[in-house]
Amino acid sequence: MTTQADFLARIRTEMRKTRGLFAAATAPRPAAPRAEAEAIRRELAPRWPETLERFRREFERVGGVFHRVAALGDVPHLVAGLAREREARRVVAWHAAALGADLAAALTARGLDVLAMPAGELGDEAERRALRARIAEAELGLTGVDLAVAETGTLVVRSGAGRPRSTSLLPSYHVAVFDRSVLVESLRQVGVLLEAWHAPDAPPAGAVTSFITGPSRTADIELTLTRGVHGPKEVHAVFVNADIRG
Amino acid sequence: MSEGELATPFRERAGRAMRDTFLQEALGIATTKFIGLRREAFADFPEGDALRDRARAIKEAMLQRLDEHLERLAASVERLGGRVHYATTPEEARAIVLDIARRAGARTAVKSKSMASEEILLNEALEAAGVTPVETDLGEYIIQLAHERPSHIIAPAIHKTKGQVAELFARELKRRVAADPEALTQVARAELREKFLKADLGITGANFAVAETGTVVLVTNEGNGRMVTSLPRVHVAIMGVEKVVPSMTDLMIFLAILARSATGQKLSVYTTLVQGPRRAGELEGPDEFHLVLLDNGRIGELAGPLREALYCLRCGACLNVCPVYRQIGGHAYGHTYPGPIGILLTAMLSGPAAVRDLAHASSLCGACVDACPVRIDIPRMLLGLRRELDERRLAPWGERIAFGLLARLLARPRLYRLAARVGRLLQRPFARDGAVRGLPLALGNWTQRRDLPVIAPRTFQERWAALRREDRR
Repeated sequence: MTTQADFLARIRTEMRKTRGLFAAATAPRPAAPRAEAEAIRRELAPRWPETLERFRREFERVGGVFHRVAALGDVPHLVAGLAREREARRVVAWHAAALGADLAAALTARGLDVLAMPAGELGDEAERRALRARIAEAELGLTGVDLAVAETGTLVVRSGAGRPRSTSLLPSYHVAVFDRSVLVESLRQVGVLLEAWHAPDAPPAGAVTSFITGPSRTADIELTLTRGVHGPKEVHAVFVNADIRG
Repeated sequence: MSEGELATPFRERAGRAMRDTFLQEALGIATTKFIGLRREAFADFPEGDALRDRARAIKEAMLQRLDEHLERLAASVERLGGRVHYATTPEEARAIVLDIARRAGARTAVKSKSMASEEILLNEALEAAGVTPVETDLGEYIIQLAHERPSHIIAPAIHKTKGQVAELFARELKRRVAADPEALTQVARAELREKFLKADLGITGANFAVAETGTVVLVTNEGNGRMVTSLPRVHVAIMGVEKVVPSMTDLMIFLAILARSATGQKLSVYTTLVQGPRRAGELEGPDEFHLVLLDNGRIGELAGPLREALYCLRCGACLNVCPVYRQIGGHAYGHTYPGPIGILLTAMLSGPAAVRDLAHASSLCGACVDACPVRIDIPRMLLGLRRELDERRLAPWGERIAFGLLARLLARPRLYRLAARVGRLLQRPFARDGAVRGLPLALGNWTQRRDLPVIAPRTFQERWAALRREDRR
């Protein structure tokens, strides 16, 4: 069996034999990523309408459906309408703390069967499996958004307590709710934010960061574009024109 | 590729592909479409060229300190509670994965598309050990059901018609489905959804791995990468050592050019950053995370002539633009990695003797260099391989003698001029419509498959000399 020491020793032996390499450097990283991330947010704040418009254009280009509501209180009505049109009844939603608001009661009042995610871990494997089976049965998944990237029309969603990975993956319809605070312009800015999220003093989070750029798609059969092969066949981004977290 | 398939000479495999009319049409449509999509994607992306240069520099910088980056990656993964394994050979990589599967008591393994696992022939080994591997990328699923191999790095089943897929599903899944991509996709979704929820083991490759954070990055359009890394109890990622990138900042530069080069998308639908096993507070995600670092001939090329091929991102752009690939498709190459870059990777993995014929399956036109997101100089390395095959007497003796003679002829002007005159006489019985046809014996190998232009009635040198004489008058 090859050990780490053997493996690295072989690499070093080969590296010593290289001749005439050209000078090359990796990308310069932000020195203080969390401060730089804050600076980016401050810089972006005044021009959020342009960023939002660009996001909408790109998100629609990749097959997403964009909605705009005035306040968080309008979201349950919108979601209920989307569900009704699609004959969907079962909804899984992030935990209220992760979503920034408790929408479960309002959704239930509109006739939906709502399963809100627990705030943290469950006791054992059996409980986790049971919950996952219920997520798998849901037709609509309601989540928040950590970043909305205008350049590419991408929703970035982090996993963690109260925000399981499969809420944006297993249901056929994914509805993601966001406000202006998560808008960024470019992949370069995303790089700074990713550095900040991984800085030693950053708050803890889940193990997975998902970039979602439109609905699940494939062109594997005769190059015919088909939606919803494994993940959702529709992705809706709901922009709330007010701060979700007040 | 089965032994039987490789026992067929390359020339026959290529010939078979060129007589397959459906394959010819499918290849033409697919490669032309991908070329157009890629061109559009870079047309409205002015910073694209500069980013490609940056990406190339990062790959080189990464190789110059590969030991440090891998050490950091391993430390990061272990800090997160994951385990790192080191595999020098395919046998070792298979043994590692089988051991993990056995300890997990796995009966089914769901796989997200991974060229590294194809390269080590993992599926056969899993089956032999009683673990059923299920490919979950739709194209890979189709060819797994058909017991075939991928024909394109990013569109593995482009050689199959929807009718063939419908027949395949009827036979293998006992499901009658219309020959309609939408309906077929829905059947696959339902079949595979079951597998995702039941599987004990998830196996992926890695498009990148970030050393600083221990993050494995998977790029998919279907969402199977997310399923495989979220639902099973154990996740194993297998990656070639060259896939490591230093930081998240570097990663974003690669992401900005990868999908544009592959499918013309700005980003693929899902880019999934997986950082070790499930965390405290999470409901989902594996209990165990394993990272297998694979050598398989890569480390030996760090100071070798194929070093630059270690920059490859596996986007497939060089396949689409290659005039040879466009004619013969992926299967004719006969190895895991097809196309121009595939020839180099095959030589890296299996030694130069494995590409005795393939080294010539290129016109050296350079379209691949232009399309490559990190500008790998593929023709330069192909020429180097041809030289090496000749020097090490691995090339066929006929070829070595023929080119040896040609080299002497070209280096001696008088002899060259004489040969042109003699050739003009000798070609007379065979020259028709501007081409030499039906040459006898071994020479026929040339004229059977391509047009050999006739030697001009007056050579350039003769016309040049005549012009000079006229001038002087």
